[in-house]
Amino acid sequence: MAKQPTSESLDLALKGGQARAGFSLDMASRFDVASVVMICVSIVTGYLVLPPLYSVIQTSLFTTKLTGEIDQFTLRYYQDLFRELQVIGPFLNTFYFSIGSALCATILGGSIAWIVVRTDSPLRGLGYFTAFASFGTPFILYTIGWLLLLGKAGPVNYWLKIIFDQTTPVFNVYSMFGMILIESLLWSPFVFLMLAAAFRSMDPSLEEASAACGARMWQTMRRISLRLMLPAFFSVMLLIFIRTFESFEIPALVGLPGDIRVLTTSIYLDAQKLPPRYGSAGAFSVLLMVVVAATLYFYFRLTREGDRYQTVTGKGYRPTLINLGRWRYLTGAGLLTYSIVLLVLPFLIILWASVLPYYMQPGLEGLTKLTLKNYVTALHFPKITDAIKNSVLLGLGSASFVMVLTLLASWLLVRTKIRGRWLLDLMTTLPLLFPGIVMGLAILRFYLFVPIPVYGTLWILLIAFVTRYIPYGIRYTHSGLLQLHKELEEASYVSGASWFSSMRRIILPLMTPSFLGGWIFIFLLSAKELSMSVLLVSPQTPVVSVAIFELWENAQVGELAAFGVIWTAILVTVAIVYYAFARRYGIQQN
Amino acid sequence: MTPRLGSFSILCALLAVLAGSHLAPAASVEEVALMNRADRQKILVEGARKEGKVSWYTTLIVDQVVRPVKEAFEKEYPFIQVEYFRGNTERIVQKMIAEYQAKRYEADLIDGTVSPTMVRRAGLLQRFSSPLFAEYPAELKDAQGFWGATNLYFFATGYNTRMVKPNEIPKTYEDLLNPRWKGQMMWSTSRGSGAPMFVGTILNTMGNEAGKAYLQKLKQQNVAKTSASNRQVLDLTIAGEYPLALQMFNHHAYISKAVGAPVDWIAHEPATATINNIGLGKYASHPHAAMLLIDFILSERGQRVYQQSNYLPAHPKVPAKQVDLKPGGGRFKRAFYINPDQQYDKGNDWTEYFENLFMK
Repeated sequence: MAKQPTSESLDLALKGGQARAGFSLDMASRFDVASVVMICVSIVTGYLVLPPLYSVIQTSLFTTKLTGEIDQFTLRYYQDLFRELQVIGPFLNTFYFSIGSALCATILGGSIAWIVVRTDSPLRGLGYFTAFASFGTPFILYTIGWLLLLGKAGPVNYWLKIIFDQTTPVFNVYSMFGMILIESLLWSPFVFLMLAAAFRSMDPSLEEASAACGARMWQTMRRISLRLMLPAFFSVMLLIFIRTFESFEIPALVGLPGDIRVLTTSIYLDAQKLPPRYGSAGAFSVLLMVVVAATLYFYFRLTREGDRYQTVTGKGYRPTLINLGRWRYLTGAGLLTYSIVLLVLPFLIILWASVLPYYMQPGLEGLTKLTLKNYVTALHFPKITDAIKNSVLLGLGSASFVMVLTLLASWLLVRTKIRGRWLLDLMTTLPLLFPGIVMGLAILRFYLFVPIPVYGTLWILLIAFVTRYIPYGIRYTHSGLLQLHKELEEASYVSGASWFSSMRRIILPLMTPSFLGGWIFIFLLSAKELSMSVLLVSPQTPVVSVAIFELWENAQVGELAAFGVIWTAILVTVAIVYYAFARRYGIQQN
Repeated sequence: MTPRLGSFSILCALLAVLAGSHLAPAASVEEVALMNRADRQKILVEGARKEGKVSWYTTLIVDQVVRPVKEAFEKEYPFIQVEYFRGNTERIVQKMIAEYQAKRYEADLIDGTVSPTMVRRAGLLQRFSSPLFAEYPAELKDAQGFWGATNLYFFATGYNTRMVKPNEIPKTYEDLLNPRWKGQMMWSTSRGSGAPMFVGTILNTMGNEAGKAYLQKLKQQNVAKTSASNRQVLDLTIAGEYPLALQMFNHHAYISKAVGAPVDWIAHEPATATINNIGLGKYASHPHAAMLLIDFILSERGQRVYQQSNYLPAHPKVPAKQVDLKPGGGRFKRAFYINPDQQYDKGNDWTEYFENLFMK
């Protein structure tokens, strides 16, 4: 527990003063609680994460027989990977794509979050609504919507051609720019939800102090607000960076037609071979794991002095809204544009496709052919009500379980000094790197052989979802908890409260923004999950995403669009319920 | 490991006793599958009556064809219930194999263009004999009886009728090399229904040398690639993104054309054809009912259900609902049938060839 005193930590220790010393003493008596929580959280997390981890590593090192049995040890997948890495083109493309998307999504989602949470800008209500509704749209549909919108024959190019008086398409969506654009739009709701939570828990007194010292608003933002948000920014960027680095959907749908190759392109083709070769995907994720482990280790060292980011303290904490003055029209317009670009445009094109017998570019011709046939097809889908019920149940279950588990894990990471807790951090981040199919297979095999009767039930899906979404939960709760000053907890202990009641009455209420933000995010994610669901559902447990998958493999765009519109409507209803709920619990403060 | 396996084998033994107790002298799956005697039908019906259900792992679209087949079959055999599980090839195969290894014999039948072959290579498929085999030509059944054909897919070039003038329509594979089409074509990277099958057809029908020379020239045409399914590629063509969509299912183009979309198809001789086929699980829990369902699907009655669902029946005597979708129907004469074993064994080479030539 003893650490080398650095000038920084000494400095902080001095600043922390008495309260800090008191806590250390108190910590001794709390240590047993921390240990118990650590043991419980580690067991649960380990139980969920280690079997798939083992599987991923094994997959990367052995060839498998068709029967799934391990065959021969091989380093071939790693050799292939390193050969691939030496080809500079795909590697650079992957890098640009991931960095570009992470930056754009963070800047976009972050600005919107700041406007919605911290300013008196008009139209702030749009922020949450847009985030939920756009995030709820099935992924494949959203991408195809964008391709139709930005394609050579699409309306955007149509108008650009007229404006710039050109005969050939002006904007080529099948380009690096198109990839980054769509990917960052796709992730911006996630950034928004996460940073909105972080902004909400920011103590404005620091900003006020800066303003009182004569700093301009931009100076305050740059030197105070943005710095306080560093952990949250880091968390969000790390997640998006990893996800885009290993993603192949956008690269394959948007990049491939424009001949832009990324590292995952060949993995994607390899997985099509027979017998299926998941080794390349396995080796790729093992390599990413090493990189992420190193990143997390250094990040952990950097934020070890988490006190610097604690902005919610015992001193009257009340977030105030920044008065924008005349700028508010600009921010209002910004919100409106964001909403239109992220939600309205793709949704309109999807809606348009859903009422046509076949796809036509928006125009008068289509208006004469409107039909509801696609809706009839979509609603006749077998077991659709069961699927909706199951998906909602699974969403509720996995969101709640993940958030509770990761809140406890974050508490351990942020509040305790237990040795090796960075390993817990790593373990809770790893599932992000497991290829969906490998993880799905691992879970399938595990529960076929382990005598726990969950196979073929909703429980196995719940286990899979919880494992998959732990990384998101941990990012939300970790950055949220970093902002809470420990003196609040200490005050509770000093007043004689038990650990449990401090948790329930102090931490949880103060964490509500991040907690609910993460909750709704995981709910929406699990509604869309596909790669594992397809393997784990049984005829008795249909879920919506699999139904959509069935459509997207073979359906015409119109039928898929009709289904998407219905599903988006359901998720928007959930969003509205959440909104009402959030208002009641003070998430939405007006 | 040992205690787990121990309790597991006890459980299995118990299950076996339980199962044995009410399915008295059960014939083995093999015996049922290869039965070849006059009263075969009677024995199958009796056995199926006891089994009461059959479970079918399928790659076909439930709403379009699986449900109609289930309904027609259940009407004929009201005492058998058809349960299905739908997924793509890879998933249903993985699921079936994993379940079989854990001795959970939930799947009786599996279908797909290559899924029965995969299960067979894992050693988990049972040969069967059906009197209906006699009605099929050699290329549409397995010589050893591992699979029977349920329906066919034919590939063609789809084109946007507003962007491609009638005199421009590329009639042959050579026509695709016309400079007019440079950068104007798109195809899917899907192994089973995209560019790799095109590559396979060319290499096999033109011969290795000439085929490779052709593909080299096609590479110069910059065909756009996407991971989207070929249905979506066709939709992009209908939307006007690319005038030509290579390696489309001809029935998809037909369905869209029928509702007024500006699209049509042209097959190049010989057209690639793949075979959707069905196989029997080695440890099927309901072998009698499964054999009845196979017989039904292969029979003319069953094939008419596929026909009415706008699928292309494999049975030589059952034409497609839209007759010209099958070879000899007036729009194309010859097809190159890529049988499941070929697709399995050669598919990797074709995919790799495609990757090296078109993706680098």
